[in-house]
Amino acid sequence: MGGSSALPASAVPARRVRAWRGGVQGADAFWAAAFVLPYIAVFLAFVIYPVGYGIWLGSGAASYRALFSDPIYVRTVINTLVYLAIGVNLKLFLALLLSGFFMRPQRWVKALLLVFILPWAVPAIPTFISIHWMLNGQWGLINNLIWDLFQADGPPWLDTPGLAMGSTIVAYIWKWLPFWTIIFLAGRMAIPKELYEAASVDGATGLRSFTSVTFPLMANLYTVCTLLSTIWTLGDFNTVHFVSGGGPALQTHVLATLGIRDAFELGDPKLGMAAVITALPLLIPLVILLMRRLSKGEVQL
Amino acid sequence: MTASRLRRTLGSLGAGLVGLIILIWTLAPLYNMVLVAVQTKDDVFSSNIWPPHPNFFSFAAVFQESYWYLANFWRQMGNSFFIGVAVALLTLAIGAFTSFSIGRLRIRMGWLLTNAALLTYVIPMSFLAIPFYRIMQSYGLVDSPWAVIAVEVTFATPYAIFIFQQYGTSIPHELDEAARIDGAAPPQVFWHVYLPLMAPALVAVGTYALLLAWNEYLYAFLLLSSDQTITVPVALGKFLNSDEAPWNYLMAASIVYALPPLVIYYIFRRYMSAGLTMGGVKG
Amino acid sequence: MSSHRLRGLAAAVFVLCAGALASPSPAAAAGQTVTIWWNQGFYPAEDQAMKDVVAAWEKQSGDKVDLTFYNGSDLPAKIISAITTGEVPDLCYVDNGDFLLLPQNAWNDKIVDVSDVVNTQKSLYNQTALTAASLYDNVTHTRSFFGVPLKQQALHYFVWRPMIEAAGYQVSDIPNQWEQYFDFFEAVQKKLRAKGQRVYGLGYSLATKDSDSTYLFNQFLVAYGGGGIVTPDGKLHADDPQVRQAAIKALTKLTTPYKEGYVPPGAINWGDPDNNNAFYAKQIVMTPNATLSIPVAQMEKTDQYMHEILTEAQPNGPDGKPVTSLVSIKLAFIPKGSHDADGAKDFLKFLIQPKNLDTYLAAARGRWLPVMPSIVKDDPFWTDPKDPHRPVATKQEVDGPTMPWFQSFNPAYSDVNAEQIWGKAEANVMTGGMAPENAVDEALTQIKADFAKYPVPAQ
Repeated sequence: MGGSSALPASAVPARRVRAWRGGVQGADAFWAAAFVLPYIAVFLAFVIYPVGYGIWLGSGAASYRALFSDPIYVRTVINTLVYLAIGVNLKLFLALLLSGFFMRPQRWVKALLLVFILPWAVPAIPTFISIHWMLNGQWGLINNLIWDLFQADGPPWLDTPGLAMGSTIVAYIWKWLPFWTIIFLAGRMAIPKELYEAASVDGATGLRSFTSVTFPLMANLYTVCTLLSTIWTLGDFNTVHFVSGGGPALQTHVLATLGIRDAFELGDPKLGMAAVITALPLLIPLVILLMRRLSKGEVQL
Repeated sequence: MTASRLRRTLGSLGAGLVGLIILIWTLAPLYNMVLVAVQTKDDVFSSNIWPPHPNFFSFAAVFQESYWYLANFWRQMGNSFFIGVAVALLTLAIGAFTSFSIGRLRIRMGWLLTNAALLTYVIPMSFLAIPFYRIMQSYGLVDSPWAVIAVEVTFATPYAIFIFQQYGTSIPHELDEAARIDGAAPPQVFWHVYLPLMAPALVAVGTYALLLAWNEYLYAFLLLSSDQTITVPVALGKFLNSDEAPWNYLMAASIVYALPPLVIYYIFRRYMSAGLTMGGVKG
Repeated sequence: MSSHRLRGLAAAVFVLCAGALASPSPAAAAGQTVTIWWNQGFYPAEDQAMKDVVAAWEKQSGDKVDLTFYNGSDLPAKIISAITTGEVPDLCYVDNGDFLLLPQNAWNDKIVDVSDVVNTQKSLYNQTALTAASLYDNVTHTRSFFGVPLKQQALHYFVWRPMIEAAGYQVSDIPNQWEQYFDFFEAVQKKLRAKGQRVYGLGYSLATKDSDSTYLFNQFLVAYGGGGIVTPDGKLHADDPQVRQAAIKALTKLTTPYKEGYVPPGAINWGDPDNNNAFYAKQIVMTPNATLSIPVAQMEKTDQYMHEILTEAQPNGPDGKPVTSLVSIKLAFIPKGSHDADGAKDFLKFLIQPKNLDTYLAAARGRWLPVMPSIVKDDPFWTDPKDPHRPVATKQEVDGPTMPWFQSFNPAYSDVNAEQIWGKAEANVMTGGMAPENAVDEALTQIKADFAKYPVPAQ
């Protein structure tokens, strides 16, 4: 990182003040504690308390009986898995491919990158509302275009469960593709050029250089990104809420939106919390995997 | 030779095609926003794919607050701005304090804090919406911007702690020690040595927190409700309940609301992507 | 030592923070201030009218009012949460409170009995309003007035006159018999489609969200003779063959046009504003709506308001007799735990004086209708023959046969509405390929399960 390397690296060579390192004592311990207090306070008041309260809310067996007997819930679980499996993987795969495209040296590619980043830089809510209208079967931009070209009604993008789920996934990819492309682009740029040169001396170009150089070096980053993105997407409320709204007939809810619906539309917070808690068997293994990867320190985010 | 030239021409043709697809894909929903915003209320539903009589009346209504759904628009922009700045400042302060204590003062059990932060980082924000809604009521923070600020700081601080910890490793400990020998107490070291050297990371994290708060919808929607306290995204969401279908005003307001983060993003882009990828692949 | 100190410090800071954060909100502590949470109006003038009433009462009583307007879509959750935590306002009004809030909370004894308020004007209220405000408290085992009726709504039908004419019909050609009435718009669609127009004849919601589709289905249920599904004693009659048959007919009549392409495909997904949108966009010829908001929102466009948009009362029922309108009565209420229930009651008594109530309702341009026939009689605003919309609605809701919604009889029906049981039945028929009979049976089973949660004691 630029700034720091310009500094004199070792002004005090030999005499190390040991109190600074390892064990802290006396006044330093006091200051060390004082500096972490704000975070501890935040953590207790706004992490531990809500998590505990949430688990308490969602601990009644009756809520789960109500939840599991609801056909909407079963559908929601399937949707959530589809959303994660297709949405996350398709998005990251495309991001990996596009990061290669944006490595091209031409000026117009660099300019295109600035435009390409827009979906991520623009706030989510207005763009999802816009996509929702674009996809409207009766007056949306896309079906208007189809009507103008073919004098026929286009597909009901948001009005059958399958299409609505697909549309939501496409909107999700639109929003988040740029972010992950940038991450992979940075990853690619960090690969030393010499490796590619060495590979091309060995006769590897194109796909071969991708499989022999790029992919092995990016694999760990890709895995971590997949884990992290899966976790974040599991909690994604905005995309589904604003693009399909869970419709038609509540057939495209995911756990994050169903929880909010149960809690605030049906006025049953316990049921809502129960719906959210049933995501934990998926969330906890992902978190453990991710923490292991991250603590190895090979990849930083 | 000709074969390779052909291949190169095909390659750049293909690249051009990919570029065109990316361009249309990226811009279509944004174009739709502009298309709706520059039409009058009645034209919005006509099947135009190109505005027949583009005009800026809706933008004028946004600036003058002359449509009643927009009556508090600038106040709401102010709320969004206030919450954004408060979240950024608090996140920076708490994050920097914590990472200073863990990374420089080497507090005992520091790893525990790091893991606590990491754990918070991976909790999906929306999962805690239900308990937070109740908790903020028992804290007496109903309809208060501080409720939203507290939630967003909670979720932004872990990221700040990571970035600061990682960035902090590039600052030599000898600098702290030199200051200590000169008689500086930890607060002075923090203020005069640590913070100045952390400036680029502070900018990255500050921008991140500001944008997080600016874009956040769910918590602002749940925790704020009166027209005087809500943020812009919540106000935009309320348009959707309207009987009058004022979509042109909604999109004009959306565009105005989307501009500040765009400007901020393009100004701080260099820092942002550094902050976001911090190292990317190591080794 | 140091770890002790650390722990002590951490504990101290936490206690401090928790203490600072958990201090009670100041508004609740004050004695002479009436805190009011009110549903935001649909027009600025509506809010202003409420502020005026409040100001007039403040002047008269010497008390202060802390009036806050909230968006109707998040106010219910806010109130539920306030009732749960005990920090309640003194007075609440929510547009859909009679659907979502009052029946359950009266049942659980969470609302203050306001009979003394209602009784001040009891002779002026219409019977439906009084029935709807009378709710069952399962703790004291009594039925009493727990809400104060302010205004009401029922379904009306809105039609684009130019579209009817473009299809080669006259307004007088629109039939006044139930089945024929709805079939007529299918014929209009065919004619208009033949001219290359991209329109649908019937524009009603068949969704599983918001209230429009629920309202329409239940009104159809009543029209087909299923109004006895819940009786005023709070009992469910799901096994009554007449109710089942009515539900099947209602479901069939509503979903068949959808399957045949006479309702926009998007209607399966419509929120409450979406039929308004589609109507303004002239993509549907007819749409039902439970208030006059469709014409009223276009009041500035004289052509549309005066000539193009038709407001129609319900056609006669399948049996040829006038259909009983399902009327939703809008109720204000005082949650238990209110610090100044007396002040709140005093304000309500002031608000429901016919003159004040009339001023308040007229400010909403007649979007809602009065619950007191005398208001309609005394103020020509409501029957003004020059207005093409208001008199139609007034006639239907004030003169015609009416009945309250089923949740006033038993809160279980609130759950039925919130869970969108009938909307799901519609979806089962439209996209799930289920026969209406089976969909109705499935719905009735779920409804029975909801009613099992609210057992009515033998009376």
